[in-house]
Amino acid sequence: MDHSAFGRRTMLRLGTSAFFGALVGRWLSPLHALAADAPPARAQACVLLWLNGGPSHIDTFDPKPGRATGGPFKAIRARAPGMMLSEHLPQLADRGDKIALVRSMSSKEGNHARAQYFVHTGYAPNPTVVHPSLGGWTCARLGDPHAELPAFVSIGGPSFGAGFLGVQNGPFVLARAGAPPADVALPPGVDRARFERRRAALDVMEDRFARATGDAKVEGRRQVYAKAVRLMQAPKLDAFDLGGESEATRRAYGDSDFGRGCLVARRLVERGVKFVEVVLDGWDTHQNDFERTSKLMGALDPAFAALLDDLGSRGLLASTLVACMGEFGRTPRINGNDGRDHWPQAWTAALAGGGIRGGVVHGATDDDGAKVAGPATGVPDLLATMGTLLGLDPAHTEMTPVGRPIAVTDGGAPIRPLML
Amino acid sequence: MRNMRALALVAVVAAALAACDRGAPPHVAPRPVVPATVASAAARPALMTSADVDARLQAEWQKAGVAPTPRADDATWLRRAWLDLLGTIPPAEVTLRFLADRSADKRARAVDEMLASPLWADHWTAYWDDAWMGRDARAPEVDRGAFRAWLHDAFARNLAWSDVVTQLLTATGLNSQGGPQRVAYADEGTAPPPEGVNGAVNWTLRYQAAPQDMAGTASRTLLGVQIQCAQCHDHKTEKWTQKDFQSFAAAFVRTRLVPLDPGKPMGAVKRVSLRELDRPAPRYSKMADLEPIAKASPTALDGTDLARDGSVRVALARWITAPENPWFSRAFVNRMWGHFLGRGFVDPVDDLRPSNPPVAPAVLDALAADFAASGYDVKHLVRVIVGSESYALSAAPLADATVKADAEAKLFERFRVTPLGPEELLNALVAATKLDAIVRATGRMDLAQVRFRVKQRYGFLFDVDEESDDGDYEGTIAQGLALLNGTVVATGASVLPGSALTDVLAMPGEDAPKIEALYVRVLSRLPSAEESDRWTKFVADAESAGSAGTLPSPRPAQARPAKRTKNGKAQPPDPLLGLEGRAANQRADARVHAYEDVLWALLNSSEFVLNH
Repeated sequence: MDHSAFGRRTMLRLGTSAFFGALVGRWLSPLHALAADAPPARAQACVLLWLNGGPSHIDTFDPKPGRATGGPFKAIRARAPGMMLSEHLPQLADRGDKIALVRSMSSKEGNHARAQYFVHTGYAPNPTVVHPSLGGWTCARLGDPHAELPAFVSIGGPSFGAGFLGVQNGPFVLARAGAPPADVALPPGVDRARFERRRAALDVMEDRFARATGDAKVEGRRQVYAKAVRLMQAPKLDAFDLGGESEATRRAYGDSDFGRGCLVARRLVERGVKFVEVVLDGWDTHQNDFERTSKLMGALDPAFAALLDDLGSRGLLASTLVACMGEFGRTPRINGNDGRDHWPQAWTAALAGGGIRGGVVHGATDDDGAKVAGPATGVPDLLATMGTLLGLDPAHTEMTPVGRPIAVTDGGAPIRPLML
Repeated sequence: MRNMRALALVAVVAAALAACDRGAPPHVAPRPVVPATVASAAARPALMTSADVDARLQAEWQKAGVAPTPRADDATWLRRAWLDLLGTIPPAEVTLRFLADRSADKRARAVDEMLASPLWADHWTAYWDDAWMGRDARAPEVDRGAFRAWLHDAFARNLAWSDVVTQLLTATGLNSQGGPQRVAYADEGTAPPPEGVNGAVNWTLRYQAAPQDMAGTASRTLLGVQIQCAQCHDHKTEKWTQKDFQSFAAAFVRTRLVPLDPGKPMGAVKRVSLRELDRPAPRYSKMADLEPIAKASPTALDGTDLARDGSVRVALARWITAPENPWFSRAFVNRMWGHFLGRGFVDPVDDLRPSNPPVAPAVLDALAADFAASGYDVKHLVRVIVGSESYALSAAPLADATVKADAEAKLFERFRVTPLGPEELLNALVAATKLDAIVRATGRMDLAQVRFRVKQRYGFLFDVDEESDDGDYEGTIAQGLALLNGTVVATGASVLPGSALTDVLAMPGEDAPKIEALYVRVLSRLPSAEESDRWTKFVADAESAGSAGTLPSPRPAQARPAKRTKNGKAQPPDPLLGLEGRAANQRADARVHAYEDVLWALLNSSEFVLNH
């Protein structure tokens, strides 16, 4: 037996369970109360670039040039030892020293809905509980309830909510970057004065009903309305307006909804938002994989690269975790429609900034990109890594309504070699 | 409970706008109404009445030393009952007729009318479609419309609950007539279910990729047992083991589908025939996580062997619906009580376990036994619950209680305030504003499309947890914004052709009766003298101030939402965008604006948005 390795693992486990034990008696304590006990965070915020539909790992971050499974794309050398990327990701290749790749991702969920749930929450779906997404945990544990902007914003897709932590910790959804969020502007014919008149009239209604019922829900609604009005009038609402960005900056992110989404994400992070998801949809390439994937990389590459540059030049990259992944990989075998099908067995996640050691390639797949060579990395491990960097203890639990303690991740352990 | 609701992330509300599209209120039936399909309680003298429930609860109150609140007034009770039984607010004429009625039995007669209303089946179709299918039922073989048509037919006929469940669990046959994928049929509730189709099979089809979830959902929704907690490891506090879960789930893997449509028609339902097998489907035996389930011997939760003879699915249905089953009747009664009273005897409603005991167990036991004795007559159970004293109580706590008051009113000595669900909120908004008539009057929009898209939007936004028992209101900023500035309220509160406000302003006479008409329509009650004076003055002041009319500002360009994502939950586009601007472009009129402002305040009020 390798004593040193065994000893280290044991120590880690003991350390975790001792910490866990200390928390047990405090399961019922309110959210936030335990924040002081969490390990020191390197990241203040997270931007998740969500590649919806499941990108081919082989066509993107784990190329297999010269193999039958490799497809037509060439591989290019990235600025990091042993890191090759698809030729359609040249800008990211140039920033390879900033990026860490986990090429040993592996899961059992090959169905879109289940896999999306799994990768967002770290738990396989189970009808008895709705697990919070990492964004939901971040909002509940690290968000400032008095901030002008919501702590969790999703751009271009609905993301996943906060499950049993409550809808108030779910994402604020921006349908499309480059326009204001839905319903923050007054409807036509209503100016500020008329709006205030309406609110005064509403106050009369609320006062009467609160007196009549004495119910706490009336006050709860008032607080939600106050937050909504605060957002309508928030100076930081300018985060959603890209008009102030230079032509050069906008061009760097690329002329795509996704690129604009990444730019809005940077503006949100600058203004204190904790978790932003930006969705790039269309990776479910059962047909015509190469044409579609190269086009999608045409949007992904400049946006991801510009986000890293932009955060870096503003001194925000070290405190902003950027993650890029989809719900699974795609088959090494190229099907009859020039497509690739679902492949959860082996895929890649990319991480950067926020306490991530750049230039690292963690794990590998076999020559055909079919199976993980060596130990596989589970989704809970990936989320435990992200959570730990954000200052969320992966073992921290909250009670569900049926009295089950649910931890931030389903038993995952942080991937230490990725962390600074 | 929140997690259940959210997981079943409700495909919203197919009947939501259907009700209002039927023109005149369909429930206004000539009196006396004799419900067609429910045998009258008198014919079954052994069955419970609401008075039996009252006696048992009063004993509980006495024991605990709590005092009930006074009865809610007629208007409050009627609104409550309409929302809970029919999923919408009562039309103005129903409210006025009810308030004018001086007879002692008017509440009982109102319940009979509601039970006989076509809205009854609309509402419970939406409820169970949500509970069983959730929002993510999007497999190409799943015909959601056919599933709903099956549910609708079952509730319209008041099919025994045991029969509904048996049909659900044992369904075989054709899933659909094909055609485009729909969330609901346009003619739902007005046409019989499609010929030759067994809509119930779509539930099994929804779980083709994960039959273990079908077992978990069945156990939770039909029995109130959270057996799937034991999927990954033995249950921590209860007796369930992983083996128990696998053996139970083994009863859910014995089907296969025979494809009837070659190829993969995009956007169309793939017709399949669901067949039952006498052994586990081979495809499950090959999947690593399902193999232990496929290998297990199908066994009920009490150890009953389900594979002894004949069909395992039939044996499962027989075991679940047997009067001796300790969970079946209790789970449904508890769920219904929770729906009507805002909290189950057992809370959360789907979590019946020894370590989570009920309050007022005698009442739950009696109702459960009675439900079984009634032949699982859903309408009978609802009549007993809605007729009970608890359901009639005020939501306001006793002002100067000399007895101790439980802030949570756990023994149902006070009515619990709950937020309207997405379906109810949208139904109520449409009923209050005549939004459907506004859309129809534009003549340029497909009403069915608009209805569908508004429903999607509201389902997405207002997916509140109706079964949550939190005392606090959990809302999102997006919900607040949608009511403050969103198109449904902005359009609905406008003076537009066809709108409720246009009707009200066209009434002859003074302001007071107009304010009264708005109150009856929106809040289902008459305004107090003070309220009437206040709003009359509000209108008069605005009028004399003159230019309340501000120059209309065009709504800033809003985002066209991204197209639907794979998980089908993208925020759908807003079909009403721009419609409200038509009002703003009309001649600004201080008086009209003041009325719009009053209506806006009523629609945004907690009194409107909460069930009380």
